[in-house]
This record gives sequence, C-alpha cells and structure tokens, in this order.
Amino acid sequence: MNEQKATRRRQAKGTSEFRQNDKKTQSQYQPYKDAEWGFINHWYPALFSEELAEDQVEGIQICGVQIVLRRVDGRIHALKDQCIHRGVRLSAKPMCFNKETISCWYHGFTYNLESGNLDTIVGNPDDKVIGTVGLTTYPVEEVGGMIFVFVRDDDFPDEDVPPLAHDLPVRFPEKSEEFPHPLWPAAPSILDDNIVARGIHRTGEANWRIACENGFDNAHILVHKDNTIVQAYNWTLPLGIRPVSDDCITSFEEEGAPKGMMQWLFSDRWEPVLENKQLGVKIEGANSRFYRTSVVLPGVLLVENWPEEHIAQYEWYVPITDDTYEYWEVLLKVCPTDKEKEAFNYRYDRVFEPLCIRGFNDCDLYAREAMQDFYGDGSGWESEVLVDTDISPIMWRKLASKHNRGIAKQPAGVQGNVKASSIRLKNLAAGKAPGYLVDKIDD
Amino acid sequence: MQFSDDVIYTVDVAEGEGILAAALAQDVPVLHQCQSGSCGSCVCHLAAGKVEMRKDMSASLLKSEQDAGMRLACISQAFSDSVLDFDYDSKMGEKGPINVTVFIDSIDWLSDDVIRLNVELADGQWFDFKPGQFAQIQVPGTNQVRRYSMSSSPEDLPKIEFLIRILPEGLMSDYIRDTAKVDDALEIEGAFGSFFLRDISAREPHIMIAGGTGLAPIMSMLDAIRKKNGIKPSILLSFGCLNSSSLFHVDELELRTDWMPTLKTRISLNQGEAENNIIIGNPLQALQPSDVTAEDTVAYLCGPPGMISAAHSMLEGFGLKPENIHAEQFVASE
Repeated sequence: MNEQKATRRRQAKGTSEFRQNDKKTQSQYQPYKDAEWGFINHWYPALFSEELAEDQVEGIQICGVQIVLRRVDGRIHALKDQCIHRGVRLSAKPMCFNKETISCWYHGFTYNLESGNLDTIVGNPDDKVIGTVGLTTYPVEEVGGMIFVFVRDDDFPDEDVPPLAHDLPVRFPEKSEEFPHPLWPAAPSILDDNIVARGIHRTGEANWRIACENGFDNAHILVHKDNTIVQAYNWTLPLGIRPVSDDCITSFEEEGAPKGMMQWLFSDRWEPVLENKQLGVKIEGANSRFYRTSVVLPGVLLVENWPEEHIAQYEWYVPITDDTYEYWEVLLKVCPTDKEKEAFNYRYDRVFEPLCIRGFNDCDLYAREAMQDFYGDGSGWESEVLVDTDISPIMWRKLASKHNRGIAKQPAGVQGNVKASSIRLKNLAAGKAPGYLVDKIDD
Repeated sequence: MQFSDDVIYTVDVAEGEGILAAALAQDVPVLHQCQSGSCGSCVCHLAAGKVEMRKDMSASLLKSEQDAGMRLACISQAFSDSVLDFDYDSKMGEKGPINVTVFIDSIDWLSDDVIRLNVELADGQWFDFKPGQFAQIQVPGTNQVRRYSMSSSPEDLPKIEFLIRILPEGLMSDYIRDTAKVDDALEIEGAFGSFFLRDISAREPHIMIAGGTGLAPIMSMLDAIRKKNGIKPSILLSFGCLNSSSLFHVDELELRTDWMPTLKTRISLNQGEAENNIIIGNPLQALQPSDVTAEDTVAYLCGPPGMISAAHSMLEGFGLKPENIHAEQFVASE
C-alpha cells in the first residue's frame, strides 16, 4: 500500500461542494448547471460580415474555444486559434503567404485553411511532423450580414453538423398557425430574403446563463420601467407579467428543427400587472407595446414585434469564458427595396441603436452583472428562491439540459482560464478589459 | 492470443500449465483478477484448436457459453496449438490494477436491501476504469475483499459510487449496514473485468438488461454515454427487481431519460401489481423481438446467471450477433 498515510482531498473549489448537493437534490437540470462554459457543438454568431473584410484575419473565443477566421476570395475559413506547436494564437499577428494557408507568426507552422492540416513549416519544410497533425476546423455560414461558426469538439464529425437553421429562432409565417400572433404581423427571420440585420455585439461580465435567462424572464421588465424609449413613446410596459394558465409556455422539441420554447405573452395565458396598490405604483402609459419572446438552443432569443411592427430583435449570449459572454443584439427587417433599406438603416442609426440596443438593453447588461457574484461560485443555483414567474427559466433549463449537443468542458491553455494571469493584469492596468476579440500584437 | 486491435501474441504453454499464468509470465496483457474461474475477467473465445477448462475447478461460465466456445483463460489448458480471441484492445490490460484509498462521502439506503455508497479518492491518488468494470473493496479489519462494479462514470472521478446489495448476513453487508460511517477510509483495488462499454461513441442501437444491483455497471455506461458530447445512440434499458420494496433508482433513471432523449427504460417487478408503468415479470419478458431494429444492435447484460443465460438465447433469437452481446453475471457479495 501507499507509504504515506492517505488523507482526504481538500475541498479545493466551492463548486465541488455544491456539486455534491446537486446530486442529492437530484436536480432535473443538472446538465445545465454543469454548462458553465456553454453548450458546444452548436452554431454561434462570430462576427458581422463587415467586421471581416477580404483577406482580414480575426481571432475570437467561444465556449472557451479560440477560433481564427480568415476571409479569402469572399469565403470564410475558421480554424482553432492555437498553434499545435507552442499554443500561440495565429490571429495575434496574422501571417498568410498564400490563399490556401495561414502560418503561425512565431515558428512558421503553416496550416491548410480547408483541412486544418499542417502543410509545412516555414523554416523547417522537411520535418517529419508535417502532414501528420493539424488544427480543428469549424464550419462557417454567412447569412444576412452575419458570420456564424459551428463551434465543435475536436472529435465532432463533419457529417453530424446540423444546418444553421436548427440553432436559429422559429420562423414566421411558417409557424403562424402553431403560434398565432393576432396582435402583430409575422416576425422576420435572418434567413428571409432581403433581410437587413443591424446591431452590435459587446462583452458582458457575467456567466452566459445568467444573461440568457434575463432575456426571457417576464418579471425583469421592471428594470425597463424608466427607460427613455418607454417614456418617450408613452408605452404601457407592465410592471410584470404573470403566468395564469398551465399552457403559458409551449416547448418545441421535434427532431431536425430548433429546440426551445415559446411564451404566449399578450394572450389570456399571461396576465400583465399594471399596478401595485400597496406601493402606489401604476403604469400610466397609453400606447400598447405588444411583444412575445421565445428562446432556442444554444441560447438565442427572438423578440417578436419589437421595437416596432415588422421588426424583430434577436439576441445571443455567446459564452467566451465562464464569466464573460458576448452579447449580440440584432434588429431584423425585410427590406426588398433600396428605399426601405435606407429608411430602416436611418431609423436604426438615429432611434433604435441609441434608445433600444443601448439605452433599453444597457439595463439588462448591468442587471446580469449584478447577479454574477451570486451565481459565479456555483452557489446561487442552490440558494435562489424562485416564484411563479420563474417558470420561464426553469422550463428553459430543463429543455437545455435535454437537447444540448454537448457541454463545453473547462478549456486548457486559453485566455480567461487563469483569472488573474499576469497578461490579464497587465492589460487591465493598461485599461483593457478582458474581451472577445484577440489582442493583436503591435509591431 | 488475438486482441481486438489485431495485436497477436504467441504464447508457449507447457502441458498442464494454466493459459493465463503462461500468458502473464510472457507479458501478454490479458485482463484478469481472481485467477480461480469465478470473476470472469479473463474470458476469451476459442477460435481454433483445443482448449479445455479444468474439470476440478468451478467455472462461472454457463454451459451455453462454453458450447459457444467461451473459455476462462485462468483455468484453461491447451491440448493443441490454439487461437484465443480477446474482444478488447491489447492496451486495456497493459495498465494493471492498482491499490488506492477512498473515503466515504455518504451511505444511503435506496431500497430494503440496496445501499448507495459514495466515496472519494484520497488526496493525490487516482484510479482509472472503463464504464462497467469493478473494484475489490477490502472489508475493514479483515483481509477479505468483495467485488463491486462502479456505478458512477469515469468522468465523476475522484468521486466513485457503488450500489451494494445488503444481505441479512455477510462480512461486507454487516460492515456497511452496522459500522461504516462518513469519512471512514476503505482500501480498494481495481479496476478489473472485461465487461465494459466497448465504444463510447458507438451509433448502433443499444439494449441493456439489468437485474437488481446488476444495474450498477449499466449506470456507469449510461452516464459515460450521456456525458460524451454529440449524437447519442438509441438505448433501451430493461431493469428488473424482485418487488416494490427492493426496487430502487426509478428517479435516477427518470432523470437519465430527461437528460438523454434517446434513452428509453422499462422497469419490471417479479412480484406485485402493475402500476406507474411498471411491468410485472422479469426484465426479459419486458422485451419483444420488435425492440431489435438493427442487426448490429449491441447488448450489455448484467444480472444473475439464470437471467444472463436466458437473455443470451433470447437476444440471439431476436437477431443479435453473439459477438455483440456482452454480459456479466452478478452474484451478490456477502
């Protein structure tokens, strides 16, 4: 036996302790709680098309996976952004000698953009390792002015990659019969012809699940009560919306289609609360603002009829690390003519971006940040006290536990894994917060 | 001796010498443990030649298994040049079993006669196993050991879970029931056994059959498959217990079906009344020929010898290939 006397492991991290509790509570959404770094083997937005010009190289991180993107002859290639040799990010100092490859700027390991294989080494072209190793590649789709990547495990087979549409919100009018919307016209989709998608993405300091749940939590509209756009338009945005029927949420789980749930807001299944007599609070707004939220895996929100008719808002909360996410806010409108396109762009720039995308949704950003400490060490999932409006996050957690294509493991050797690394501290001291895009080397 | 990765070893066996002993002496990585014909770890298939098991030792192989060419290498002798197939990778046995210390995290009664024992590896120690394998736990204060399959998956390490059937009398049963407490140390050795999940990424439909605490290795396999990201195979688990007071893990199986939509379960009781979707009968009676939808279906069986034997012939009758049926006989340790 062992020479030394065996001793118990130290309870190293708070999480292991809570994990054990989880087992006892037999939580139905344990897999969701395990998904600190996100759900892998899903489609995520990577960049807006305009952020990646011809021959441009950018580095991003999703679910702890570093990815480098390069556009060649219009087509986008995505590879793991971590040289197999010494782990350097190729995107930190892009070096491309031709249209077929990308080279590591450090020791010259050169990878085929199509296959990811190590094609040559700049200063060592006869090395035996050439042709025997490579980097994982990621399928890419570009639609509606957005670039999507399929972020996958290294061993996830090409033939199993589902269509992008399976990880996007449900479409209308295709679903208008299943999910009628008598109070507003059919919502546009990023997959529609002539779609114009305008929006921003920015980094939020919270776990992605906290962010995602905020998006469709029907009690959270209280934080928007005093927003400029609400007051300017004199909207009757309720203090809260309560479920009053057992069919207030419908899940959709068919094979070969998006998996998620629809909330029947502004129907008789949910009751808007406009007044709290005890507190003397009352919503006085005169203009109805009907909307409806649905969410699909891996965490994509659709807000129909928002902020105006014929417009929809999409949101993603793309995990970067376990405590940062890239918040995507995109407004969509079908604009068949240049005139309509111009009008939408003008309105986006003058009204929607300042008042909705920033003004309104800024509140969501700080609300998520405010929850992060409670959930960040894993304890919040155990100690939260939920009420009837929380049926939405609970349903979502169960659905996500069931239909995700994989739980991202804590990554190895990537930025953000070591929270207080010297590089991170140096960047902070220089005024650069941890973010989504690679820090390019100034030469 | 041929392994599934096409690695072939030629072993010289003297007359009267045990094949396993000869193989181990010549560094052939055969899985083994008891070396006395009981644990079944060294099971192999006679592909050519004449190999017989000793008549003066009891073997845990069924008559039907012997007739199908299966042999336990430890109690087998060669009577001609022969070829033995081992249906696992030659690398499997290269890392031998090791001894580790674990500490008890919790002891929970799951039914009238089943206890769930959760333990954690001691600081700085590690232990590798394949889902389905077993360990030997030393009964504290004695030099006696008992065999139990891990019911947790390797991903749960350093935590390990066992499902222990408590008999009215028995060395380990008495210890667990009467003496064991949280933070007690246990010495375990492992991992052993050739009953393990063959391919964690397999896409072929799986049928799993478990009787009583024979569910333990099956749980380990289910969790291993569930935690492997990506597309999962369809799995049909038929699990049976004697009666409602011995039934356990209904909630755990329900959770697994919630988490893994490709998993379907059937639960049966030998005695009692049909209620809550519970079938009266044994776990084999809960299955029909129509449950086998593909000829490459893979089966994992763990339960009492009678059940295994009947399951073998039933599944072959349903069209499964014998080489795709993996079984472990389960005998409650005292």
